[in-house]
Order: sequence, then C-alpha cells, then structure tokens
Amino acid sequence: MTPVLSDALRAFGLAALQAVFLLAMAPLLKTLIKMMKARLQNRQGPPLLQGYYDLAKLLRKETVRSETASWVFVAGPRVYFAAAVSATTLVPVLISAAPLEAAGGVLLLVGTLALGRFALATAALDTGSPFGGMGSSRDMTIAALAEPALMLGLFTSGLAAGTLNLGALARSALQHGVTFHPSDVLAFAGLFIIVLAETGRVPVDNPATHLELTMIHEAMLLEYSGPDLALVEWASAVKELLYLTLLVDLFMPVGMATSAEPVALLMALVAWAGKVFVLAIAVTITESMNAKLRLFRVPELVSISLGLAFLALTIRFL
Amino acid sequence: MTSHDLLILCAAGMLVSGYLIVGQKRLFTTIRLFALQSLLLGIVAATIAVTQSRHELFVTAGITIAMKSILIPWFLMRLIDRIGIHREIEPFLNVPVSLLVCLGLTVVGYRVSTGFPEAVGGARHHLIGVALSMLLIGMFLMVTRKKAITQILALLTVENAVFLVAVGVTPGMPLVVELGIAFDVIVAVLVLGIMVQRIVDRFDSMDVSRLSQLKG
Repeated sequence: MTPVLSDALRAFGLAALQAVFLLAMAPLLKTLIKMMKARLQNRQGPPLLQGYYDLAKLLRKETVRSETASWVFVAGPRVYFAAAVSATTLVPVLISAAPLEAAGGVLLLVGTLALGRFALATAALDTGSPFGGMGSSRDMTIAALAEPALMLGLFTSGLAAGTLNLGALARSALQHGVTFHPSDVLAFAGLFIIVLAETGRVPVDNPATHLELTMIHEAMLLEYSGPDLALVEWASAVKELLYLTLLVDLFMPVGMATSAEPVALLMALVAWAGKVFVLAIAVTITESMNAKLRLFRVPELVSISLGLAFLALTIRFL
Repeated sequence: MTSHDLLILCAAGMLVSGYLIVGQKRLFTTIRLFALQSLLLGIVAATIAVTQSRHELFVTAGITIAMKSILIPWFLMRLIDRIGIHREIEPFLNVPVSLLVCLGLTVVGYRVSTGFPEAVGGARHHLIGVALSMLLIGMFLMVTRKKAITQILALLTVENAVFLVAVGVTPGMPLVVELGIAFDVIVAVLVLGIMVQRIVDRFDSMDVSRLSQLKG
C-alpha cells in the first residue's frame, strides 16, 4: 500500500471513530441541559439516558409521510444528518488534529452546516404545510444574520494563529500557550450568542414548546415522524455538541492531547467533558434567566454578536 | 493564567458589558450589567494591588465593589421598582445603529490609545484602549438615550472608564481623592435618583426629552 493511501485510510478511520463518538455523546448533552434546566425550576427532570430512549423509540416507529411530499421531503433529514456527521470530522475534539483537516477548515465547516440547514428548510417547504414554510423562513432569516457573525468570530481566532484550519488553530494555541487578547473575549461573547441562536436556545427559540406563534426549529419538524424525526433530532443534538466543542477548541484548548497515547487521550477526554459541561451550565443558566425574544427582536440580538465579532476582528489590527 | 491575562480578561469583559448595555432595552438587565462591569473593575484593581504590591489599591477595589456593584445597582433597582418603568422604549437611535456607532467609537478609542507613551506593550495598551472606548461609548449612550436611568448608567460607565485608567496606568491617586470621588459618585446618583422621581411625578414618564417642552 502506498503511504498516501494508508494515510488517507487512517484519516477516514479516525473520522469514523470521532463521528461515532460525537453521535454517541450528543443525546447525553441534550438531556443534561434539559435536566439541569428542570432542576433550576425545582422539577425532577428527565433521567440522563432519556435522549437515547427517545431516539430508540422514534427509530422503531413507522414513517408517515404526506401524500403531497416529494423526494425533497425524504432527502431533507438524510442530508441534514449527513452534513452534521461530516461536520464532526472537521473539528478537533480530543486530539489537537481534526481527522479530515486536510479537506478544509473553517469555511468548509460553516458551508457543511449551511448545506444541512438548506436541506432541512427546503424539506419543510416541500409538504406545503403553512407551519413548515413559516419555520423555514424564520430559520433562514436568523441564519442569514448568524452566519456572518459566526464566520467573523472564527476568523478572529484564525487571524491570531495565521491559519483557518481548525486542527492547526488548536495546535498553535497549544504550542504558544494561550495568550490573552481582548479580542478573544469579544469573539467568545459574540460566538456564544451565535451558538444560542444556531442551536435554537431560549432567547431565540424555545426547544421545549410547540407553540405556533413562536416556534422556529420545531416548526420545520412538524411533518416528520418515526426514523426521519429521529435523524433530525439526533443531528440537531450533534450540531449543538459540535458548536460547544468548537468554542472549547478556539478559546480554551488547554488539556487537549497532542499524541494518541492512551493516558493523554484519557486526560483529554476528562478535560473536554469538563469544559463542555461548563459551557452547558452557561447555556442552561442563560436559558433559565432570559425570556424568549419576540421574533422581530432576534435580529437585534444577533446584530450585537455580529458587532462583537467584527470588533474582535478589528482590534486584532490595532 | 497569569495576572496579565486576568487583567486583559477583566478589561475586555468590561468592554463587552458596555456593549451589552448599549444593546439592551430592559433596564434591570442594564443595571445588572453595570454591576458586573464594576465588579470586573474591582477585580482589576485587586489584581494590580497584588502583582505590584500597591496595597492601597485594595481599598479602591473594596470601595468600587461595595458601592458600584452592590449599593448603586440596588438603589437604582429599587428606584425602577417604585417607578414601575422597566424598558427603554424608543431611544433616539435604534439598537443596530447604536451598535454600529459604538463599533466605530471603539476603533477610534483603540487607535488613539496607541498614541500614548504609556501604551507600549502588554496589558497597558489594552487597558487604555478599553478605557477610552468605554469613555466614548458612555458619552454616546448619554446623548442617545431618553430614559433618565440609562443616562445615569452612562455617566457611571464613563466614571468606570476613568477609574480603569487611573488604576491601571497611572501611579494612582491619593486615598483622600479616591474617597472624595467615591462619595461624589454616590451623592450624584442619589441626587439624580431624586431628580428621576421628580421627572416621573411631573411627566408620568422617565423621558428626559419631554423636559424641553414648555408646559403651561
């Protein structure tokens, strides 16, 4: 076997491992946030494994599709899921290298996630149900504002390291130590708001209700049932975990393994879990302390984060 | 994390909270954000006190945290509770435009800060940059908001900015001056609070632009 081919095979193997790992952890994160939120409201909350039970239940059910639905409706959840899974291979999680980082960096990641969003939005339009169209229109409105802010925030970190490759970003941060610059704080604040917006958390969307007037993400899923719904739910959970991992990679990479030794990996796993847990607490607290914004106020919130991200980028040059 | 990093983290946190104050309409949240900003200022003072062993700065930190992040916010919240007005309904400029202007102001503040001879290298550059930006943002907030409470907060933001420079860059002020400033601020807030209540009594609104109307 030629070395190039074996390298490629190893990269794909690692990518598969990492994708499976994130797919396995994602429902746990979702339930964890749900549980912590319930505890803050003096409720018991679901057991930690509830996310897995829900997915298993949905996967066993039969699929009901509208008669008017075309292939777009069928393809939607599959493309969305595939996009989320391939995005996981572009982000370093435990080792300071992304499995498929040779394929591309920040831009590919944002593009992949956008592809998934596009697929889901068109699929929701496909059945012609008014809620689906409303949901897609709202989701796209927010995405159009959130995506530039996300890119600017990511570019800020890229500018510091001189690369847009996420693996190389994490490596340079580990090598030079984390040197603090005010733009990091600004970019983090901006990106945190974006993560809330992109994952449909409270100031933007409420993941716990199906209220017609306010729902965004849920409105797009109304027509889905059974395994299709499971795919979308699972992919959304993976996306959320991915965003939190991205924040961890960019702003607090300390503790990441630089080699594949078992001990280092174990330490990295603990560090990663701890950092994601801290971010999950932050998400929970924001979600519990804020009321959902009116839809027309959401652009204001996102413009705050766009402003912060832009400022972060500008300050780098001053 | 070194003390240098902590300084920059706190200073940048102050700038971020300044931004969020501009982007917020709920008065309670703006007051909480101001309290956070003052707390960060207190941490900056305490950090410098430890690293440069300037122990008189502990007093500054203590006064800042006690007054600006506990006493004044508590007073303002009580005031709002009593008046019953919770939102800035329509500022002269809407939020996205204000944010854009503040962006420009921050860039100006940062650019100007590089001209100071003290601003060479490390944390000081960022402290001066953040302070100048906050100064400009505070002044901007003062002229574009209608609610008297937001204007008080803007004044206090400017005050925080000046304090940040005084603590972080200059050799520091005598304790007497510092105490004087502290009491000045608290008296100013009290007087302004009473003024706000008078305005509300008279006009049933906190909108200071109504003060320019003649009333027969």
